[in-house]
Amino acid sequence: MNIVPAPLGSGDARRLGQIERHDSLEARNSRLAVGDTLTVRVRRFEREGGADILEFRVPYQRAMRVLDALNWIAENEARDLAYRWFCGSKMCGTCAVRMNGREVLACWEAVEPDMTIEPLRNLPVIRDLVVDRSPFERIVASLEPWIERTAPYAGFPEPLLHKEMENASKALDCIGCMACYSACPVIGLGNLTDFAGPAPLVQLAQTALDPRNDPTKVGRALAQTGIFNCVSCYKCEEVCPAGIPIVSRVIEPLKARAAVLVPGMAKHPQILRRIVAARGRVDPGALVLGVQGFTALRNLPRIWRMLVRGKINPVRTLLGLRTAAASAARRLLS
Amino acid sequence: MQVHNTEVVIVGGGAAGCYAGLSLHRGGAQTIIVCKGLVGKSGASIFAGNLVLGGRLLGNTEENARNTAEFLIKYHNQFLIDQSWARRCGQWIENVYYPELEEAGLYFRRDNEGNVVTSPGKIRSIAANVQGNSGVPFMDLRRKQLMRARILCLEETAATALLRRQDGSVGGVFGLNYITGEYIVVLARAVILATGYSDRLHARSTGTREMSGDGIAMAWRVGATLANLEMQWWHTNDIAYPPTWQRMQVYPNPMLGSEKSARMINSEGQEFFNQQQDDPLAYGPYTVQLKALAKEVQAGRARYDGGYFAGFDHCDATEVDAYTTYGKGFRQLGLRFPQDLVETAVTAHYRQGGIDVDTETMCSSVLGLYVAGGLGGHSNGLIGLATYDGKVVAEGVLGALARLAPCELPEQQVESERLRLEALLSRGGGGITPAKVKEKVRSVMWEKVGVEKDAATLRSALADIEDIRLDLLPCMGVKRTTRDVNYEWLDAIDAVNMIDACELIIHSSLERKESRGPFMRRDFPNTDNAHWLAANLMKKTENGFRFEQRPYELPFFQPGFVEKNNLEVAW
Repeated sequence: MNIVPAPLGSGDARRLGQIERHDSLEARNSRLAVGDTLTVRVRRFEREGGADILEFRVPYQRAMRVLDALNWIAENEARDLAYRWFCGSKMCGTCAVRMNGREVLACWEAVEPDMTIEPLRNLPVIRDLVVDRSPFERIVASLEPWIERTAPYAGFPEPLLHKEMENASKALDCIGCMACYSACPVIGLGNLTDFAGPAPLVQLAQTALDPRNDPTKVGRALAQTGIFNCVSCYKCEEVCPAGIPIVSRVIEPLKARAAVLVPGMAKHPQILRRIVAARGRVDPGALVLGVQGFTALRNLPRIWRMLVRGKINPVRTLLGLRTAAASAARRLLS
Repeated sequence: MQVHNTEVVIVGGGAAGCYAGLSLHRGGAQTIIVCKGLVGKSGASIFAGNLVLGGRLLGNTEENARNTAEFLIKYHNQFLIDQSWARRCGQWIENVYYPELEEAGLYFRRDNEGNVVTSPGKIRSIAANVQGNSGVPFMDLRRKQLMRARILCLEETAATALLRRQDGSVGGVFGLNYITGEYIVVLARAVILATGYSDRLHARSTGTREMSGDGIAMAWRVGATLANLEMQWWHTNDIAYPPTWQRMQVYPNPMLGSEKSARMINSEGQEFFNQQQDDPLAYGPYTVQLKALAKEVQAGRARYDGGYFAGFDHCDATEVDAYTTYGKGFRQLGLRFPQDLVETAVTAHYRQGGIDVDTETMCSSVLGLYVAGGLGGHSNGLIGLATYDGKVVAEGVLGALARLAPCELPEQQVESERLRLEALLSRGGGGITPAKVKEKVRSVMWEKVGVEKDAATLRSALADIEDIRLDLLPCMGVKRTTRDVNYEWLDAIDAVNMIDACELIIHSSLERKESRGPFMRRDFPNTDNAHWLAANLMKKTENGFRFEQRPYELPFFQPGFVEKNNLEVAW
């Protein structure tokens, strides 16, 4: 038995779980052969009648996709099954569903021997697998996702480097399927935060990370996104069928823009950064004081709990003690 | 029932419909778009892989410019095109189209020195963001431009009939929002049909799910003249499996930033098409490719539905991945890229013909009814040409608006259309399903009106379609009779249109007694410029229809022969 793990290729770190489970595209495409039968359970929903899970036995077709299985069911078993799709080839972004608990584009994902298919989360279901896209569309529209120029257009082709467009270019691969919106745990919290969600942020990034856009307008849009509620869990990246590095190439660069253009939004990370640069470590007491000011002192029971658990050290906070790592931290953060 | 009053109603949310809407808005006309899918997301425009550079753009030489025009007229339209229109269109693309798109924010892919990346060759092209995926950011931009202009878009709403004034002119649209189940009526001074050209009428078709020949069927019902309906184009190398990937093309066009492109291999492992060697114009290989495949099929080394292969096994993955999406399908199927080839098949693609229009205004033969984009019978589509149509139709409509009266609600027509749709819904699920009817129609078209056909197969197809109309349609029913999100109901509505459109296409195919480019008749294998360098016009009459010819003028390019075996003609 090989107990020494094979070295990871570059960019493989986020696929560690997949690699450990031997879950590759090659494996996903070789689990079934013509002649096999799949078991497919579909969550059906009707506003009047409620929800129900129905099970179907579906013959495997060569290179079968989830959408092929749905088509077979609609053509042969459940004629009234409602599911949305237009192109069948990963362009229109309208057929996303959840298959065995993960968001997939039905036209793109290989079938599995045993599948449970459900509608996307975080959007109202209209019927069966058809969700209401309008909440997403409304957020996108409110962000005014177009460019406004500060200088007149210079004529075709205008001066522009790919390097300047690198992140926007990734965002332009977005097909608006909302797989990421369904997978996002912060959106799953409902109205507890004002987070716009990954899909609208990707839509915004197409123009907000475009150097031709007016920074004032970008700031105005970013101010509405609640972007610092993102917890960088990478769920969105994991499910994106277009392979967009949503956290690293969209949300992080947008947060950086927001920190500059709408400094008030980034109070927490900026104070954290200042503390780490000054002291070489995180000081929770200084962080809370920095973010909340002296109003933080009103919550005495909480301060007491934090003191007892050793989370804060008022002496260290007030004296502003530095650790040996301070100069290194300053160097790294500068 | 919702009733909207506006100045112009556009049916279709692709490149032509969106640009028509934006141009009309700029021209001050109140406009509503009715889209069967989602504006900028459904329809064939999202499939635009790359964007052809016309004229002297981006360092194009005089020869490049001439090649592009030659490609459009010869290889793209087999001379069935108004060459003066082609010239106007080319000039507009050169001077207006690219600047307008870029100014609005479309990102034409640059390298790190800031050069727009082009494909080399006799005709050059560029990409919006990435080659193979240009249509997605392109149409997304249009969707957002419409949003910004606050143009009302009625989405997931199928237009099912054109409404007429008493004098027979067209002044409105009846439709069904199939998500809510609500009927809509939009009354206007002018109606623009922009429903595209990639209808899913064959077993394999490149169009999106909702494209079912609605534009042809609705226009014919109000008496519009049709042109060259038989001129069907084909994709020659789309991935053969899975079934849903009918439009996953192994692009034969030159890659951006590379001299290479995909190659095609027959069942015996021999290469039979490589654009670098086999396509004289190095851009528009579709017909050239199809002819190469037809020879392989005739020799028993390939089938139209598979048994031959395509891929990039002569390229480096980094070379293909640099600016294209071409590796995505291979990888998604678990194949090794670029080492592995993939089995490919033919797919019905553009229809060159459509509704006959006056190319100065895009008006059809029916007053008040205008056409833009692939649905027109004036040219084969490309996203640039479809966009140009959007501009021309807007000008045509704006110029005529004062002469076109507002339309009163034609209550009788509305009621009879409502009853027709209700009947399709209320028949119950005992009989044949709409999905099966669609499948039968597509199967007839694939088997008998496919790449190669003759009078016998076409007549037999007509008889089959007639059987489907008379025997199956009356017992076609839907299982669930509630109105919201009832895709089976929509399928039933589509099936009627498909049957009508297919019948018209088959009659037109019988009429053109020659082979020309992608239109291949076994019984008339020659391209016959003496008799058929003409539009094949289908006109509605009191008791059916008749055909007429309208010859094309040849001011800039001429075929240079009178008659020749089509498979030996380069284009």
